[in-house]
Amino acid sequence: MTRTALLLALLVAAPVQAQFKLPDLNINKLVDTAKNVVKATREIDENEEIAIGRDVAARLLGAAPLMNDLRVQRYVNSVGRWLASQSERPDLPWRFGVMDAPQLNAFAVPGGTIFITRGLLEKMHSEAELAGVLSHEIVHVVRKHHLKAIQKGALAHLSADAAGAALSSVNSEARNKLVSFGTEMYSRGLDKGDEFEADRLGVVIAARGGYDTYGLPAVLQTLQGMNAKDSAVALMFKTHPAPGERLDTLAAKMQPVLDSYSSQPQLRERFASETKTAR
Amino acid sequence: MRLFFLAALLFPLLGQTEPATVIRATELKQSPATDAQTVAQLPENTAVEALDRQGGWTHVKAASGEGWVKLLALRYGGPGSAKKGDSGIAQVFNVARTGSSGTQVTTGVRGLDEEKLANAQPNPGELEKLEKYAVARPAAAGFAAKGKLAAHPVDYPK
Repeated sequence: MTRTALLLALLVAAPVQAQFKLPDLNINKLVDTAKNVVKATREIDENEEIAIGRDVAARLLGAAPLMNDLRVQRYVNSVGRWLASQSERPDLPWRFGVMDAPQLNAFAVPGGTIFITRGLLEKMHSEAELAGVLSHEIVHVVRKHHLKAIQKGALAHLSADAAGAALSSVNSEARNKLVSFGTEMYSRGLDKGDEFEADRLGVVIAARGGYDTYGLPAVLQTLQGMNAKDSAVALMFKTHPAPGERLDTLAAKMQPVLDSYSSQPQLRERFASETKTAR
Repeated sequence: MRLFFLAALLFPLLGQTEPATVIRATELKQSPATDAQTVAQLPENTAVEALDRQGGWTHVKAASGEGWVKLLALRYGGPGSAKKGDSGIAQVFNVARTGSSGTQVTTGVRGLDEEKLANAQPNPGELEKLEKYAVARPAAAGFAAKGKLAAHPVDYPK
């Protein structure tokens, strides 16, 4: 009797266990997916941001390498690191690089990496102008403009499952797609509103760092004097509001800040001597 | 260096005077300050030659005299005139780098364009160099002090 009962119990239990096994696996997968959906829609933490940024920076450097000029690279890093120290994210691993490209452009990468092209550096006249451009890019990082756009794009182009995996796992097909998307974003550009915000707050960062606040407007004026069809500015003009419009916006919103700090140093001489090998 | 020289040959005006236009009626000042003496009243669309900049002011030569106008009242380029053509920087670069005639500029230009971005592969070696060039926060503060740059709090605009 006891033996029969045991046998019966075994016979019943086996299929029951088997029946539960399959849904059990599915439940695990469902939980994973749910976790990834949460990951894809929640705020990306700083370590993930830095890791994604490194991957995107490596791609951008695949498009154009750094100038092989220690002095210029150190100089631009010094100016940039000083300005970043005045921002709301002073302790990110800030990295600044001058790309060896004749086109005029600058890029902000999530996590604190900022690139400026040799072509743009050549058009500048002072450290205040360099500071104006770097401050604009620093604001993009501080306000996570690109990171948010990458995350939005990942959700739109990948399944939520893959998007979550791409944001958190370093080596995956989905991550690869995410980084490709993140790199191409520099061809499409951000929302105009993000660019105007970077102009406005960038002027403030430059002011905090003790620079003449007219550095950014002066660079915008130089750009405004160039032809939008010029191959050297084609990409930058495509991805940013027209320089004249940016100047008008700064004039409308930032005149008091601009004028309060316009007599701070421009450092023309230091800029000329530190960048002469690059120009 | 050679590139810059070539570019300078193509653009002798670079860094000297630039044709510019006053986009709204503005005062031509004797020195770069609001309370400086007014040399002349420049009507909207006045053509000027822009010289150098000081703070929010640009030194200009106008038909009615020489002086300073507000940088934000000035746009480069003549009034209504066609803008300058291709600066040729990219082409010059191409010729210098490849020694070719530069006729294949639309596809052969080195540097950073949309196509390059679309096809870029990771370059870990350059990323390592980027790390090497980094400057630490205290060192950057020392650098700022050498330039007599003083940090102070400034609020973001509302």
